[in-house]
Amino acid sequence: MQPPPFLYIIAAVKSHLWCDALLVLLLMPVLVDATDTNLPPKASNDLEELTLEQLVNVKVTSVAKEQTDLFSSPAAISVVTADDIRRLGITSLPEALRLVPGMDVAQINANDWAVSARGFNAEFGNKLLVLIDGRTVYSPSSAGVFWNSQDVVMEDLDRIEVIRGPGATLWGANAVDGVINIISKTAKETQGLLLSSSIGSLAQDSATVRYGGELASNFYYRVYAKRIDVSESMESTGTAAGDAWNASQGGFRMDWEPPSQNVLTLQGDYYYSEAGKPTDRVSLTPPGTTLIDDHEYNESGNILVRWTRIFSDSSQLTLQTYYDHVQQEDGFGIEILNTYDIDLQDRFALGSRNDFVWGTGYRYQAVENTPSYELTWTPEIEYIRLFSVFGQDDFTVMRDRLHLILGSKFEDDSLVGWEIEPNGRLLWTPAENQSVWAAVSRASRTPALVELNGHLNVAAFPTAPPGPPALVSVFGDPDNVPEKLTAYELGYRVAPAKNLSFDVTGFYNVYDDLIIQAPNPTVFVTSPPPPHLLISSTWLNAGAGDTYGIELSSQWRVLDSWRLTASYSWLGTRLTAETSSYVGRSPSQQFQIRSYLDLPYHLELNGAIYFIDRSLSPSPTGLDEIPAYARVDLGLTWSPRKWLEVGLWGQNLQQSMHVEFSSQQTPALTEIPRSVLAKVTVRF
Amino acid sequence: MALVLRWSFCLGLWCGVGLSGRAEGNLSEYQVKALFLLNFTKYVDWPPTAFVGSNTPVIIGLYGETKLGGALKNVVAGKSVGSRTIVIRQFESTDDVSQCHILFISDSEASRTRGILDKTSALPILTVGEDPVFAQSGGIINFMLKNGNVRLEVNLAAAKKAGLTISSRLLAVADTVKGKAN
Repeated sequence: MQPPPFLYIIAAVKSHLWCDALLVLLLMPVLVDATDTNLPPKASNDLEELTLEQLVNVKVTSVAKEQTDLFSSPAAISVVTADDIRRLGITSLPEALRLVPGMDVAQINANDWAVSARGFNAEFGNKLLVLIDGRTVYSPSSAGVFWNSQDVVMEDLDRIEVIRGPGATLWGANAVDGVINIISKTAKETQGLLLSSSIGSLAQDSATVRYGGELASNFYYRVYAKRIDVSESMESTGTAAGDAWNASQGGFRMDWEPPSQNVLTLQGDYYYSEAGKPTDRVSLTPPGTTLIDDHEYNESGNILVRWTRIFSDSSQLTLQTYYDHVQQEDGFGIEILNTYDIDLQDRFALGSRNDFVWGTGYRYQAVENTPSYELTWTPEIEYIRLFSVFGQDDFTVMRDRLHLILGSKFEDDSLVGWEIEPNGRLLWTPAENQSVWAAVSRASRTPALVELNGHLNVAAFPTAPPGPPALVSVFGDPDNVPEKLTAYELGYRVAPAKNLSFDVTGFYNVYDDLIIQAPNPTVFVTSPPPPHLLISSTWLNAGAGDTYGIELSSQWRVLDSWRLTASYSWLGTRLTAETSSYVGRSPSQQFQIRSYLDLPYHLELNGAIYFIDRSLSPSPTGLDEIPAYARVDLGLTWSPRKWLEVGLWGQNLQQSMHVEFSSQQTPALTEIPRSVLAKVTVRF
Repeated sequence: MALVLRWSFCLGLWCGVGLSGRAEGNLSEYQVKALFLLNFTKYVDWPPTAFVGSNTPVIIGLYGETKLGGALKNVVAGKSVGSRTIVIRQFESTDDVSQCHILFISDSEASRTRGILDKTSALPILTVGEDPVFAQSGGIINFMLKNGNVRLEVNLAAAKKAGLTISSRLLAVADTVKGKAN
């Protein structure tokens, strides 16, 4: 039994005197009588003074009744807001996901992250679906997300919605352990000129320029350009990690919102990045395997059109289509991926008790892989056709008390055939301030192309003379089927007071057909020459296991000017013996506490402490044990004028450096150092 | 988390992407609608026959399943219109709606709206709806969501038929629509 996490934190804090000072700083707000004039009124009663003229101009939280109340979502949903990102000086998407309770976010090196929910973390977290403004960024070749080629203008982000647990009924394949929806603001909400620049000791240097205007009445646009430069980090051995990263990105968004109930959006981005990625060069001639400084070049672009017609609060139709082009070149070859996607979604009330939604979509992906010695594909060009249709009904069993939600998705993927992904959810709201929900759902993860068609040469080494050289390889198997999950979830939310809320979720996940590397007998082969020993394994649906856990989070608005957020999660993993030697183990416990404090003189003091338990992360040599670590971030922002904001953050303050995850490419571990970041934002 | 989506709307791939944005403040759509209803008690004149006595309460009726109830309860708590208190009542059928002064018809009742309006049109009841064709179909005031704002549509012919007088201040912030008086 592990000691509870707070003991670690107390121990960690005690070992650093200056941390005591930090704790005092974080707790200081108790003593400060801060005043805040910018906060919106708390209760409706304060609002009766609003005149009719003001009322017609009040922005309501959403056309979509989104916000209506905390207690009516029968799923483990969390939202990272634009305010969270601004206050904590967050510069990348994966770093923003750290804030989500129970999410496992680990930085591998300066340009890469491993992100997962509810276990199985890996460099390519293959059970997590990620969408940016409705466009999937999950790679079918590797089954995962290249985080170093996904970026947005942080200031134009509206929110990141994260659902932990299966979301396959609505989002389809690969929404197994979670769905991440990254949603940007509309063009109307980003009017005017924005200039922002950051500079950091880790050289997380960035510059952003964005301009938004109105082309015609109700027709808004914005254009932006962004550049980031991150310098290389150090390995545990003290050598440079060769992971420097730079990226240039530009794009636009146009929204036409005529007075009738239509919204038409056109948006697009173009991206170029270059990230250092040391890679093993494999050769059957001496010296066998050599690690070389290699790079990952990514050039991608996308364009998306979305039309929404709102018939009423409970009825709307959305049609969306996009084209996405990704060209990626690294030590393993060149991949060109073209995606064409079209989706229709319709929601309407069916009588007074049924809220029905259905949708259908078609996606065509052409993947062209140029091989290298390390990675070959058969065939090299693959076409993936995905047809899907789903329907879901929200049935009111008892008004304001009990809802039953039933739905399913049916998908036909040209690689793996039909998949059915149903879910059933029950939401019981015994009182206005508390709710209980339960869900049973099924989801599946489509095998990565490499697990079907790939042949990976991982390493080669000479054996004692006069023996032949040995080659270590992994093969895909075209007969692989999707991994399957059946998930059981139970959640409870309660708000004992207006300024305090708790959210608890428990889950039990049963995985089957997990794809793992099953070892083959070692054989002597003569072709291709030179003659060599082949030590190989094959990706097969040979794994299985269960995970179970609890995620707890709480928000406490101590004062109007001071908010605290805390979360704790516990994860248990029980895998079959063959599975456990290949699959990473996410930390069994995580704890975080965040404090947002508004001070007089337009100052804000924001801080966060994270505790991450030990974990096992996949590396070329097996599984590396990553020791438990704590992470402390503290920042001060100052906006002396409406148009100006200056921020200064210390990140990873707790230790001079620590390791969070190992890389699949290189056995060396990269250290994440203590760093300082300064940022200036100007808006006109 | 302070902002959690209603699951039944967090649907499909877009999750509200592209719809008008969220508020900087904390007002929900139904808080705003509730505040409007409170304001209607001040900016609409009922014929004297609508009230039995000078202290008779103003009755706001809610028809159909709606999130408005909770918000309205908070908004009207402790409020009065002159000497009249404000009472909220939930209605399931049209049998007793004649008692109320304002009748809010939820969009969950869209299919029944016509029938409800047929029964109320000649009575001094301010019918309020949230269905795009509500005012055209003979409803008096309709809430329309436009670009993230709640805007008002008024059917003057219907108001006249009900014997209600709508103040110019309210008309100034509303769009008038032509529609039948029922």
